[in-house]
Amino acid sequence: MKRARLLMALGATLLASACSKPQFPAEEQYGANPRLPEPQQYLFPPMGIANPVGFKANETPNVPSGFAIKAFARNLHAPRRVLPLANGDVLVVESGGPGFEPVLRPKNIVYKIVIGKAHSPVKPGNRVLLLRDTNGDGVADQTFVLVAKLTSPFGITTIGNTLYVAATNAIWRYPFTPGATSVGTGSIVTALPGGPIDHHWTKDLVASPDGSKLYVGIGSNSNIVEGGLEAEHNRAAIWEVDPANGAHRLFASGLRNPNGLSFRPGSNTLYAVVNERDEIGNNLVPDYLTSVKEGGHYGWPWSYYGQHIDIRVHPQRPEMVAKAISPDYALGPHVAALGVAFSSGALMPAAFQGGAFVGEHGSWDRTVYNGYEVVYVPFAGDRPTGKPVPFVTGFIDAKSGDARGRPVGVAMDRQGALLVADDVGHAIWRVTPVTGVGIKTTATR
Amino acid sequence: MTTTGFRPHATIGGVPLHAMLVPFPIVCFTGALLADIAYYNSGGQVQWANFAEWLLAFGELFGAVAALFGLIDLLRTPRGARPTAAWFHFAGSATLLTLGLFNNLVHSRDGWTGIVPMGLTLSVLTVIALVVTGFLGHRLAYVHQRGARS
Repeated sequence: MKRARLLMALGATLLASACSKPQFPAEEQYGANPRLPEPQQYLFPPMGIANPVGFKANETPNVPSGFAIKAFARNLHAPRRVLPLANGDVLVVESGGPGFEPVLRPKNIVYKIVIGKAHSPVKPGNRVLLLRDTNGDGVADQTFVLVAKLTSPFGITTIGNTLYVAATNAIWRYPFTPGATSVGTGSIVTALPGGPIDHHWTKDLVASPDGSKLYVGIGSNSNIVEGGLEAEHNRAAIWEVDPANGAHRLFASGLRNPNGLSFRPGSNTLYAVVNERDEIGNNLVPDYLTSVKEGGHYGWPWSYYGQHIDIRVHPQRPEMVAKAISPDYALGPHVAALGVAFSSGALMPAAFQGGAFVGEHGSWDRTVYNGYEVVYVPFAGDRPTGKPVPFVTGFIDAKSGDARGRPVGVAMDRQGALLVADDVGHAIWRVTPVTGVGIKTTATR
Repeated sequence: MTTTGFRPHATIGGVPLHAMLVPFPIVCFTGALLADIAYYNSGGQVQWANFAEWLLAFGELFGAVAALFGLIDLLRTPRGARPTAAWFHFAGSATLLTLGLFNNLVHSRDGWTGIVPMGLTLSVLTVIALVVTGFLGHRLAYVHQRGARS
């Protein structure tokens, strides 16, 4: 028995020493020129799941001094996207994953359990709501269901009198007159790559400024092609879609999981936030915000953050690595950025004008939480610059470490207030500056 | 006094549970090596990686249960009657299961480096440990037990 104990002790020691220590902090993994650490391979990849508890009725997230936050709507069912309309109505997409992903490896069983713990127990609505604030007090007082029973909807946009909703397997169009509280009969614009795996299922959607084209983000079907390259056909890309007939082409590729598709106001430049790959480090790879070039290739799967080769992909493709564009701005490792709102309108103070608010759902694939906040990314001219400024925070309960909320979609409403969809707090938060109070803008990161 | 020799104790209807279960890890770990070789030769066809992962998982699970019954057999045998070969068999099995555990974790990595080169190497080492341990196990079953009975 002595020998048995010795062997067991030896095994345990080997295991423990094989689990590398997390490299913290992540300060160098932000901004226009992040310094990336060397990739690592793990026996136990880093993970950290925040238990979803929600906000209590008297609680809200935190905002910097000089701002106020209150719930525009509460008790929703996993709101993930918010689209304010010009008439003041606010459309909200409630959604959850489709659950298409089959168990193909023993690891899938473990991951389903682990990642399942991060999601709120509230059943996602999988529908589009119209919220109306009739008395202008910043709180919605009427709710209408515009579209129900969608298959994991996410992206939403309007062109003229047509509402477009990107379900995980198709873009739908609905006749919709602003001011109305219902939509006409829906029809499919185009099918999108959905099942049978549909690993990254959120299909974000935006219309070009002139309304002639739709752009839809289609995430990869895997972390790093562990399901084979065949499963990635037309994925990890942004499609350009003709809204009239559904004709589509790849607009840009190599974008592992692009969301937050937005045109910067006053430009024809499309931006996206991209969730980068897992299991090569607590600080690898930073998720990023980037302008998206037509025909551009951004690396996935063969390389990350420009031309850093990912050795897990075989065969390697040097000619694709050589083409890979380095993104504009690192948001930090594993923050899970999902929403972008360019600051527009006259309401926000000067320090928060011209840049972008980014909703960060928060990490699960990192030992210490990262993200779980809305940050503000300043722009200098037409480029993001400096460090992200934490703007809406407190989604992680400081005492317990539980997740009170997880921000997803962000948008500027008609008045210029920031709306934040929170799929664990099940709320739409509304942030406004408080007049007459000094605004502190020091970055605390 | 015929029962003082080395005899299996964890049995059903006189058939040792250890002997009933050991074919599982033998077949699974060997199959995992073959799947790894096929993965390497095919330049990374995913189905072989998936085969290898399931085989390793079940090999480890059944191997651990088989080892437990083997350990019961050994410890229930009076001290003086435990053959030295049984201790070597025990050490070999412990090594085998440790290698198997590591191999499961390495194989759970995504992509090519889940198998090449570390996973494949561990699969080879596991099968080598399997050959040694299996040989010793068969000696225990067919030589030592027979000797004890006569």
